[in-house]
Amino acid sequence: MKVEPVLYGDRKVYTVSAFNRGISRFLGRLPAVWVEGEVTELRRNAAWATVFLTLKDPETGASLKVTIARATYDRLELGLVEGEAVHAAGRAELYELKGELGLRASTLERIGVGGHLVALERLKRLLAAEGLFAPERKRRLPRVPRAIGVLTGADAAARGDLLTTIERRFPAARAIVCETRVQGRGAPEAIVAGLQALAAHPEVDVVVLTRGGGSFEDLLPFSAEAVVRAVATCAVPVVSAVGHEQDTPLCDFAAAARAATPTAAAALVVPDERELRASLDACRRRLDLSVRNLVTRDAERLGRLNDRLRGAPRLLLERRRAALDHTAARLNALSPLATLARGYAIVRAGGEAVREAASVSAGDRLEVELAAGGLGARVEDVRP
Amino acid sequence: MNEEKSFEELQKELEDVVARLERGDVPVDDAIALFRRGEALYRACVERLQAAELRIEELTPERPAP
Repeated sequence: MKVEPVLYGDRKVYTVSAFNRGISRFLGRLPAVWVEGEVTELRRNAAWATVFLTLKDPETGASLKVTIARATYDRLELGLVEGEAVHAAGRAELYELKGELGLRASTLERIGVGGHLVALERLKRLLAAEGLFAPERKRRLPRVPRAIGVLTGADAAARGDLLTTIERRFPAARAIVCETRVQGRGAPEAIVAGLQALAAHPEVDVVVLTRGGGSFEDLLPFSAEAVVRAVATCAVPVVSAVGHEQDTPLCDFAAAARAATPTAAAALVVPDERELRASLDACRRRLDLSVRNLVTRDAERLGRLNDRLRGAPRLLLERRRAALDHTAARLNALSPLATLARGYAIVRAGGEAVREAASVSAGDRLEVELAAGGLGARVEDVRP
Repeated sequence: MNEEKSFEELQKELEDVVARLERGDVPVDDAIALFRRGEALYRACVERLQAAELRIEELTPERPAP
């Protein structure tokens, strides 16, 4: 049916129904969309062909009337209660009788915790099977990072706790802080971009991913697949300090280390300066002591060498003397005087030693040499 | 020569130097060179601890491509 105005002179006037019908047709040309909101004013009656509800934007309070065929609604078996968040797929529709704008839904999906938990569990298994959470993948944290990357939301508490504790433990630290969107739409992309920017910084040796506690939904971006993968493959080790002790977003499993609080994260990424100084000073003392020991040892060795050097000539002399004494003894043994001393005598005739009786004749004069003194004698007879 | 090394590397090298000297099998000339190296490493480590307060820099990532 065509929407026709009534003419009053040259003024075109539409009846209310014609106007509504025209708007309704216009709306009918709009594409089907998904709309997210909280369920309020849910009315289902077995006698009605349609289920009525109102979706509300929790932040602004804006509301939208939604209708869905009761048969379709019942088939979904959602068991919706007021206050749950849903996605409704449908087209804009005008209730022509009342001129009320609404959404004619073709389907509804719950986006509350339940659906997320199932999806998270599935993602966790998938990533675990890929080995993203394997202990051997986990990198060791540097003991003293040149700079610490801090990825945080506009969350004064978590950021403050982290930075204050880092400064208290290790004042010489350097922090590169990247503040980014950490919840709501676009948060996963923002977190990934921030993580990459921090890891690309030439001095950043470790990144702390932190945000304070929040609702399950608030922490969901830290379980987003892109974020978990970015944490697992980050160029530097990542410490995950997201939410409170009881929260375990998936990025915790992919991170090199998990900290229950921002304060605990600080203790993981910087050493305690006093302890570090103490260990350095101990090293310093050992350095001095070891070199002193070495020098002392060498000095003692040198002293012993010196003693030996100085003792050497005397030793040589003694050795020579002993050798001389020995030679003298041998010489002494060969001397005829020693033989004479044992009672032998040397007999000479005309200066020659007499070796055989036949070399002399009776009456010859002999000289007899004894150990002490000598004799002159004459040969009485010869017995050759 | 120590500029590009991390604190950790410097500290590790210092410990290695001390351990070598403590083993005592180093000739005296080498020991003195090692000792000087150890001193330099110790000073380099301590210098890195000198800053009195945390330096904080803000970093804004490039917007991700839409």
